[in-house]
Amino acid sequence: MLIGLDVGGTYTDAVLLDGQQVIKKVKTPTDNEHLLDTLISALDPLLDAAQGENLKRIVLSTTLITNLIATNRIEPAALVIIPGPGLNPNTYDYHVPDTFLLSGAIDYRGREIEALDQQELKKCAEEIKKKGLKKVAVVGKFSQRNKKHEVEVASYLKKHIPDLYVMMGHQVTGRLNFPRRVHTTLLTLATQANYNSFYSEILKLLKKRGITAPLYILKADGGTLSFELSTEKPVETIFSGPAASTLGVLALTAEGETSVVVDIGGTTTDLALILSGRPLFASRGARVGDRLTQVRSFATSSAAVGGDSCLEVEDGTLKIMPYRKGPAYCLGGPCPTPTDAMRVAGLTELGDEQKAIKAMEMVGEGLKLNPYKTAELILDKTTEKIISEIEKMFLSWEQEPAYRIWELRQKKKVRPNNLVGIGAASPALLPLLGKKMGCNALIPPDAEVANAIGAALAKVNLRLTFHFDTERQFFFIEENGIQEKNTEVKTLADAESFAMNRLIEEGQKLGIDISDKPELVYSEVFNMVRGWRTGGRLIDVCVQFPTGIIKHHEKGDH
Amino acid sequence: MATGLVFFPAFDWAITPTHPEREERLLYTRDQLFEEGIMDLPELIEYKPRMASKKDIARAHFCVPDIESQITDAHLYAAGGALVLADALMNKEIDNGFALVRPPGHHAMRVVHGNRGFCNIHNEAIMIEYLRKKYGLQRIAIVDTDVHHGDGTQDIYYHDPDVLFISYHQDGRTLYPGSGFCDELGGPAAFGMNINIPLQPYTTDEGIHYLLDNLVLPILDDFKPELIINSAGQDNHYTDPLANMRFTARGYAMLNEKLSPDLAVLEGGYAIESALPYVNTGIILAMAGLDYSWVREPDYKEENFKETKENMDYIKELADYLWRIWKEREQLAEQRYHRKEKFEEVNRHIYYDTDGIREQQYETIRICDDCPGYQIIRSRGMYSTGKSKVIEAVAVHHRACKTCQEEARGYYERRKREREGLDVVYLQDKPRDRYYQFTADGEIEILDE
Repeated sequence: MLIGLDVGGTYTDAVLLDGQQVIKKVKTPTDNEHLLDTLISALDPLLDAAQGENLKRIVLSTTLITNLIATNRIEPAALVIIPGPGLNPNTYDYHVPDTFLLSGAIDYRGREIEALDQQELKKCAEEIKKKGLKKVAVVGKFSQRNKKHEVEVASYLKKHIPDLYVMMGHQVTGRLNFPRRVHTTLLTLATQANYNSFYSEILKLLKKRGITAPLYILKADGGTLSFELSTEKPVETIFSGPAASTLGVLALTAEGETSVVVDIGGTTTDLALILSGRPLFASRGARVGDRLTQVRSFATSSAAVGGDSCLEVEDGTLKIMPYRKGPAYCLGGPCPTPTDAMRVAGLTELGDEQKAIKAMEMVGEGLKLNPYKTAELILDKTTEKIISEIEKMFLSWEQEPAYRIWELRQKKKVRPNNLVGIGAASPALLPLLGKKMGCNALIPPDAEVANAIGAALAKVNLRLTFHFDTERQFFFIEENGIQEKNTEVKTLADAESFAMNRLIEEGQKLGIDISDKPELVYSEVFNMVRGWRTGGRLIDVCVQFPTGIIKHHEKGDH
Repeated sequence: MATGLVFFPAFDWAITPTHPEREERLLYTRDQLFEEGIMDLPELIEYKPRMASKKDIARAHFCVPDIESQITDAHLYAAGGALVLADALMNKEIDNGFALVRPPGHHAMRVVHGNRGFCNIHNEAIMIEYLRKKYGLQRIAIVDTDVHHGDGTQDIYYHDPDVLFISYHQDGRTLYPGSGFCDELGGPAAFGMNINIPLQPYTTDEGIHYLLDNLVLPILDDFKPELIINSAGQDNHYTDPLANMRFTARGYAMLNEKLSPDLAVLEGGYAIESALPYVNTGIILAMAGLDYSWVREPDYKEENFKETKENMDYIKELADYLWRIWKEREQLAEQRYHRKEKFEEVNRHIYYDTDGIREQQYETIRICDDCPGYQIIRSRGMYSTGKSKVIEAVAVHHRACKTCQEEARGYYERRKREREGLDVVYLQDKPRDRYYQFTADGEIEILDE
């Protein structure tokens, strides 16, 4: 049996699954100040229902990191950057008062083109010590191609300030994008301690209940990772909610279809895309508030309209406001909402019909329309807003830059087969949306706990992106900061098999079922021609155990 | 507002595996730009290229025997990348734009028998003709900062009084394509609208900026173009393996800041490791109005880029000479061309280095008092296989008067009937925006498809 828990901002969903069958589901309000209490109240009923049966795993999806960052409850850290030539480093604001700039430079091939300045380094260490800073992020441009400077700075600082905690950029992420690497490193550093204490609290809690099932956490890229390993880079768990719902929809729809995940909430409608059975990822990484990071996450978007959106009429025009004043009028709230319109149009049985009609009269007065026409207009506007956001998402996917002829040629106009609704207001509105867009509107059974189902069924994933430089005889892996000497890889075929073996090796360590087929995502070779002769090769290979859901978890297979 | 960027490195396209124009060319530039996080800056908008249409190409070229034989998809995306930015500029989505695309185009002439100087079709010319047709622009200036003479641009606009072409380049006596001297000033209808600035080998930032400040910018001020385009070749760089100049990344960035082009299109530049990552970063920052003072090559030392007195004297003299020509271009044109004649005939030889083709051209230029007229080009391409193709092409200017238009069309119709010895006959009817080619198989109008 599997347990999935999704701690959302407002509600926490939890399910106990046997195979794909829901044995027990729980929905309880989230207490953001006391997340552990929320967890207990969601978990205990499931444990009772499991009646001591063997639990295969527990998967948690949590807003903990999101909340820590959003409420600025993150620990202060110093930042040391080694930007080298290029953009003026002051172009980006990292929101760190104690930022230190060091000279020294590594180039795009990982060659040292300017050494560190020992005097500067000494001064930097003295300053950090004087200020009593306890944590520091050290990030260099192109450090993923040569960690030398980061390592030198880190070890110097640690030597002179023994209790200093240092995190290096190349350990966190190796994708090209220095400013994003800085942000991602800072966020990792800033959330680690809080996350760790949360982790140990949870361990205690599980121990007290005698649970020995392994605990997993859902990441923003829709994969799960053992909770213990996730403490290294807790920032990867941000936005696991949208990942959970997308995976939930993946579990509840047919394989290979193109679907839009529509989560209609109080004042927003959250959207995600599944293209031919694969969730769409944000191309360069997640945006966290105003920070652009390299956290791999699903592409999500949001329309500023939901069931509780406040409705107003200005100069004879209907306006859907981006905020709520309370529940729908028909449910005793203070102002008319789209939910009232749904009630009048007979799309839902929720709330009091007379009150809903009253709400429509309030809106209709300024529009000179009767309550029924008013409801129609409101539903038109509401669905239009959502549809235009969906169109925008597809369009921006189509417009995503591509750098190869085959990529440009291959991208065709795609439109969805399904709209899949989760969230409170979805059942009422989705059929209307589907009709307007000419696709199936699905409300899967157990849609209200789709997030928890998604979490429970999410696979452990692993993606490794290798970059080989055969001339310099080294390779690095973007995702885990590995930089190693290598003399055996000379051709693309060598690189591919090397990468695949490494993937399987690393996958086994994470507990991936390696009978799952690993994938070659892309591979590409560039001959380095020097003086009309091939001097070496630059080879990029990306391999993965993809994000997905456990499909063949047979009943009774413990 | 922002700077638009199309980055199309064509990572899956090369002339040949070890050719300078190969997959790897913009690889390190990509690494630098991506690592800088440039695409995330609010000052920049990245656009995806689209494919240029055949009609877009026919507005600028006579492809022999047809467009399909001269291009690959990479060419269509490179030219289309420039068109995307042209649209974005005219729709006011961006203040300016840089098409960082390959393959390049500034050696491609009106008649295209094959690839010369790594170019088949001319990205800027295709963009300019598109801008004129779609948005009705008239006066356009092109400043070519590639180390090689932009002989394709010169050829395409040699008879066009509405397009000012200024080319900086290493002296043609020391570098491909061997042209671009001070006396190549434009045809009878456009005399003085083609300004060549041949530079001595080893000219530095200082010399190039002297010419920019004292010649190029004053001419542009005088001409008052509606649009300035930069043919942004990067092989004036001091590390370029195919040329001998001493220009730096910072020099390029500052040039862009001063020139402030509306649209820039990448041309050559083959120091793919030591120059391109830095030069491209510098140009993009300068165009976006961002600080580029942090952009420098690893071995950059300011004192290495001072001009010798000897060369500075030459440069000053050159600037004075060309400025005088610009100011007196109308009188000089009258001395040079006998405007009482109805036709002027010229002939010349063109060499295609990449494809090993020799071309012989005979051009008949219609001189008209009322308009820029038309030209008839008779061209024989002699291919390395020993075969040859002969074509005749009629090119009619946008603003050709009724008489010239009718004459030109009449000539084309006559040629269709009396096609003796010709493989293809072309009509580039810009006033009507219609393009035809006629072969033994009949006539084809080239459409957007």
